[in-house]
Amino acid sequence: MKAARVAWLAAVLAGCVDQATAPGVCPAFCPSGRIDVVDTVLAASIARDSAYRGYVFPYQAVAMTVSAVPGVLDSRVVFVTAALPDRVSLNTSDTTTSPLVGSDSAKITLTVTRRDTSAHNLTLRLYGLPVRIDSNTTFGDVQGAFAGSPLRSVNLDSLLAKPNGVDVTTGDSAGIDTTSKRLKVTLKLDSVQAPYVLGDSGKLGIGVGVGADGPTSISFCTRDNGCGATIGWFMKVDSIKGTDTTLIHKPYPRGSIFDTFLFDPPPAPLDSTLVVGGAPSARSILRITLPRAIRDSSQIIRATLLLLPAVPARGAPVDSFVVEAHTVAADFGAKSPLILDATRTDTTMIRVGRTDTVRIEITNLMQFWVSDTTRPEVLMLRSQEEATRPTEIRFYPSAATLKRPALRITYARRFPFGVP
Amino acid sequence: MTARRVDPTGLPVGRGWTGRVLVGASALLAVYPSARLAAQDSQFGIRGLGTPGRFETVRVRSTGGGLGAFDPLSPLTEASLGDLQQLAATATGGASYRSADLAGVTTSLRAMRFPVMGLAGPVFGRLVISAGFTTYLDRTWDVTLRDSVVLRGAMRPYSDELASDGGITDLRLAAAVRVSARFALGAAVHVLSGSTRESATRVFDDTTYHAIKQSDETRYDGLGVSGSLLIDPLPELRLSLFARSDNRLRARLGDVVTALTDLPTTFGGGLRWAPSPSVRLAGTVTRRTWADAGPGAFNTVSWSAGLEVGAGFSPLRVGVRGGQLPFSTGPTAPTEVGFAAGTGRAFAHGRALVDVGLEHLRRTGAGLSERVWTFLFGFTVRP
Repeated sequence: MKAARVAWLAAVLAGCVDQATAPGVCPAFCPSGRIDVVDTVLAASIARDSAYRGYVFPYQAVAMTVSAVPGVLDSRVVFVTAALPDRVSLNTSDTTTSPLVGSDSAKITLTVTRRDTSAHNLTLRLYGLPVRIDSNTTFGDVQGAFAGSPLRSVNLDSLLAKPNGVDVTTGDSAGIDTTSKRLKVTLKLDSVQAPYVLGDSGKLGIGVGVGADGPTSISFCTRDNGCGATIGWFMKVDSIKGTDTTLIHKPYPRGSIFDTFLFDPPPAPLDSTLVVGGAPSARSILRITLPRAIRDSSQIIRATLLLLPAVPARGAPVDSFVVEAHTVAADFGAKSPLILDATRTDTTMIRVGRTDTVRIEITNLMQFWVSDTTRPEVLMLRSQEEATRPTEIRFYPSAATLKRPALRITYARRFPFGVP
Repeated sequence: MTARRVDPTGLPVGRGWTGRVLVGASALLAVYPSARLAAQDSQFGIRGLGTPGRFETVRVRSTGGGLGAFDPLSPLTEASLGDLQQLAATATGGASYRSADLAGVTTSLRAMRFPVMGLAGPVFGRLVISAGFTTYLDRTWDVTLRDSVVLRGAMRPYSDELASDGGITDLRLAAAVRVSARFALGAAVHVLSGSTRESATRVFDDTTYHAIKQSDETRYDGLGVSGSLLIDPLPELRLSLFARSDNRLRARLGDVVTALTDLPTTFGGGLRWAPSPSVRLAGTVTRRTWADAGPGAFNTVSWSAGLEVGAGFSPLRVGVRGGQLPFSTGPTAPTEVGFAAGTGRAFAHGRALVDVGLEHLRRTGAGLSERVWTFLFGFTVRP
């Protein structure tokens, strides 16, 4: 009886819910109005565009790239490890300390953020560098150090092929870090390759080069990204027992105090083109004027920014990079603050060597401007990972009449509501 | 044994606090127009002004509309108010189950509506006034379409959904007076008001194209006047004549007038034969000049006939109706035929009346066939 009442109540409630949706057969049983979609190219809507460089420098980037593209690009990573103390206590309970007298060995660990998996015999080479390298150091300044024999050279492919990625002969290892899910490569150096220089406070300057059977590129994480190169020292300490020294098996880990990458040729100076990417990073600003009819009374359903490369992006094929289109909070030219909102950021991939028209879907940005007409209709193009690689792209500006940037917009006109 | 007063509809009347409470509740319903104050809708109303409402209570609809010209609480005519001896409030609801068969595809549709609410009562001597709401045009529909369009050099399939929710309500203020035992007349002013929430949505299969979603609210207004009279040439025979003129329907989006559509003039008449106090047989014919509304609209003639048996607490009602619908893209107006049956029950010594009915309609035209089953329920209180 109770179930019957519940069923009756359910039937009554179900009957109260309207079901008005039916397939339409037009035009006899459809409303007179139709959704009208228009697709058009706005060739002259982009103007007052410029490029600026210097937003992020290589030593501030979240990654650093080593490239070997003969005749096109040569890029090296350099870093300096942190200093060691002059004296250490042999035991935690000791109140006295003993001086460091030399190194026994060291292990340098590099975190790989990106590598060319299609390259064969990918080889990393470590070089000794002076510890005085800094942000003013140029590729030419260290070219001599890279011209000599490397401290160590390791075939990454071979190392990864070994059981557990460990070379028991050299002490090198490679494997995926379980926390960061990134490839970590550890190279062992002996006391000659990693000497303890008291005058340098134990700092060590290291350069990294790369090689493979063909053009290749690899990126490493940086200290600015919290995962820069580290070194684990195994030191010899004066035991204060005559001439004996004691090997401390406990490693003395040290991070890097400076890291960057240097490349040749250096970035070309800015010209009239719209430059995006490179190191230091370059951004381009484009100012858009939407027709009032579209901005005020239409709904944009797709908007594509069309850009024609003036020159192909240079680098290894794996150096393709992502260009982001942002809108800005206010138009202050080069210093316009970006609106860093994933829902208002559109991206496209730039392929190295291609000169095809680059298309960036900027529908999100357009809809943002239409919904809030107080916002400046300004686009800022930048590389997604700024200054992490030398690769940059240059587009024709609006001044190039026949090859200027354009906007392709698909929009729906206002539906004719209120007409029976 | 106490004598019980019986009103012209044949049902007992009474007074008391329960009745007043019920009247108050009904009055609240009457002055608060519901968003669902629409009659049953139809696919024939999509391409046009909408689906015209029925100015009939459950009692009248259960007789196929035959008693419409003689029912004091049905807003079809005013003169019949002259027979009302006491304050009364009424509300009508209906749940419609509709199947639309179009191009070999049958779709089941459902709607819940409250098409009539009203309050009426004598005020000065023989003068009776009435106020209430009735559905004038129902504009609730939701159409889905599947099509494709060439965009950027490729065919892009999409799905459209065009919807309208709402309608136009007739706010009526009526007055009637029984001049003599054989003659009554009445008149009314009608304010047409309403709105529809309209939306248009398009979703492309290719999600690179964002969905189109537009909506707006259209408001409507208009005015009308009506008049009617009742003549009793014989004690058991009553003739009703009525007419109504509505000016135009103005549609506005915000402050912008988007459409002005002429509304019809209505003429009609009815005849009731009551061979005994417990048997009433009536018929009504109505003509409306909907063709004034423009292309795609047709003048309509509707007819109905019904029988009510029983003057006590549980009358029985049956009736048939037929006629035309005003809007179609075809060369002729769609047609409508149907039958109805119902009964009622009086409670609280006749102060509260509950009427129920079942109506079946079939509409055909321009390749579309609709079958509608409507369960009707009405509530009337008379303190």
